[in-house]
Amino acid sequence: MEAWIDFAKGPLFAVTFLIMILGLARLLIIQLYNLIISKGGRLKNAPWKSILKDAATWFFPVKHLIKGTVIFSAFSFLFHIGVIIVPVFLADHIVLWENFLGANLPAIGQGLADFLTLFTIGCILVLLFMRIFVRRQRAMSKPMDYFLLVMVLFPFLSGYLASHPGSNPFTWESMMLVHLLSAEFLFVLIPFTKLAHIVLYFFDRISGLHWQLRPGAGDRVAKALFDEEARV
Amino acid sequence: MSTIPEESKVQVIKEKKRYPYYIENPVEENRVERFLEAFAAVLKYTDYKPLLDSYCNSSAKCNRCAVTCPVFQVTHDPRDIPCYRTNLLLDTYKRYFTIGGWFKSRFTNTFELTEEIIDEMLDGFYRCTACRRCTRECPMGVDHGMITRLGRYILSLMGIVPKALQVSTREQLEGETHNTSQIPKAALLNTLEFLSEELKDMLGIEVEFPIDKMEREYVFFCAVSDYLLEPETLMGNAAVLYASGDWDKWTIGTCNYDGINYGLFYSDWHLENIIKQLIAEVDRLKGKNILIGECGHASRSAHDFVPVFSNGKPYPVFNFMEYTLQCIREGRIKLNRDIVTEKVTYHDPCNIARSGWIVDQPREILKSFVPDFVEMTPNGQDNYCCGGGGGLVSVDEIHDFRMNIAGKVKAEQIRRTGAEIVISPCANCKKQLKELVEHYDLPCQVMGIHDLILKAIEIPGAKSAAERKEEAAMFAM
Ligand code: SF4
Repeated sequence: MEAWIDFAKGPLFAVTFLIMILGLARLLIIQLYNLIISKGGRLKNAPWKSILKDAATWFFPVKHLIKGTVIFSAFSFLFHIGVIIVPVFLADHIVLWENFLGANLPAIGQGLADFLTLFTIGCILVLLFMRIFVRRQRAMSKPMDYFLLVMVLFPFLSGYLASHPGSNPFTWESMMLVHLLSAEFLFVLIPFTKLAHIVLYFFDRISGLHWQLRPGAGDRVAKALFDEEARV
Repeated sequence: MSTIPEESKVQVIKEKKRYPYYIENPVEENRVERFLEAFAAVLKYTDYKPLLDSYCNSSAKCNRCAVTCPVFQVTHDPRDIPCYRTNLLLDTYKRYFTIGGWFKSRFTNTFELTEEIIDEMLDGFYRCTACRRCTRECPMGVDHGMITRLGRYILSLMGIVPKALQVSTREQLEGETHNTSQIPKAALLNTLEFLSEELKDMLGIEVEFPIDKMEREYVFFCAVSDYLLEPETLMGNAAVLYASGDWDKWTIGTCNYDGINYGLFYSDWHLENIIKQLIAEVDRLKGKNILIGECGHASRSAHDFVPVFSNGKPYPVFNFMEYTLQCIREGRIKLNRDIVTEKVTYHDPCNIARSGWIVDQPREILKSFVPDFVEMTPNGQDNYCCGGGGGLVSVDEIHDFRMNIAGKVKAEQIRRTGAEIVISPCANCKKQLKELVEHYDLPCQVMGIHDLILKAIEIPGAKSAAERKEEAAMFAM
């Protein structure tokens, strides 16, 4: 078991983390390339001010708690706090970052970490519950939407149990292994699923830029399809 | 779940009532192949690919868009959830135009584009008024209006487009009159003469409309239908230009006098070519600025797309309300506060309000001379669409859909204000709201902001507003 844990902490971590970084970098580069190179000068015509102002409202989204979705929205907003802070700033993780990236990040206290972890688990359960039981939510949900929520739940739950032997019915080693493997599986999933919004979110938010259409494109589409002049 | 508010409930609807629109040459065969072929061409030559990449990798399916949509609020049909409809296109993209989608399809029974889905799209994309209200509440920033438009664009490339829109744009781009209402130049000149006479009778001012004048500050374009349907709006525009002392600074061109651009609703090709036609007219007249009359989508298409499709320096585009407000602020026009005694409310046309461009200006204008002004809630950038957006108002055969579904929320909103006059500075909204008022028997009248200004404007040397009001009252008796 020890050897497995070492393997998961060492090479497997490095490989999966790299897959995630490269996968996300690919998405980032494609998006940046398309915005900067192919849209080019047209970007300066875009209504940047209103796009950015709009985007800014989402960093403190209280005004977006609109009637009819308050519970689901509130929990999904709050869920993101834990999901971002705990994996990055947990004291035990800081060591990993130092080993692999040489980065020296500040750590959050254990108390806060525990609270955030439990809170995040709670949020996931509420979100799952709502997807299953609220008809409107269910109508839109696909297997992947449930699967990803459960996959995010795993590292949080196993991490918490591993660090709280009192509440852990299994051995520390097995919990640790589950924790590592589920987190690493998540790393691999991130660039290929909707979790890619870690990066793409920022591009979605400014997707109003895509109203800056490419001049002449309509003509080329028409010519390709109709051979001659476009049909009106 | 009794705690779920009315607007977020969902019904199980087995058979969705369809509201078909006329299509000139209905496509019956090979629709799937043709759709994919058109989609491929669009992806190849336009910039939509990265947008779709980004959207399909991050759509949250949180359903927040559902509760914001006036259509869903009435139907409660899951198929009217903006995200659901958007996903029809995104799923098609993923399945046929990404490696991941192809890969997945080798292993599982994934999404396949079928005739039924095409049916759903051609129905669904025209059940959305492209008002983009949902976009403001999408946490991911997915612009469902843009996707609706893209879906319509692809459909239009295979010939599926409401006949009403297609016939209008054809006339505008290739017809003799070059405008959507087929108003020939002679008829335009007649109308302008008629308007001059009306202005003389009503205000006591003698004006000749400036036609094809060169090198003017403003070249004026309105929704061309205004020349037939909204003379009061145009007279209000004229009165402001006259009173402000700018009468010799503007002109109407006779080669192109239509601001309407249905390309904004369904096709990049049309959008671009109609804008170019507009620019060509300003070039011809050596004008300096483009002044758009009371029309939401005409304003947005010119304001947002003249810069995109201009070679070189774009002409600045102004909505008429910006001009009027400037005149008020500079003290160049005077509006009498004692004339309009009715309770007035303001409907924000989505195309100019959603982006936040024109929200405060009309309010400042109205509050300067209307003592009893009430707001609808919600309003401004969060307003509800009139129900005729996205070109739907021109599609007469879906009148029932516009009345009973898309416009229902708006009608209730208007009723709640208790207003006697609804101001709506947009040709499309005006038509839809007038129909709504009739359909729901609302005790109010719909008009443009310049119709109201026409009543209250004081022009030195002309009949006073009070005198005019008296005359109008006598005339009405
Ligand atoms: S754009 Fe408007 S009509 Fe279309 S889905 Fe969004 S809110 Fe509904």
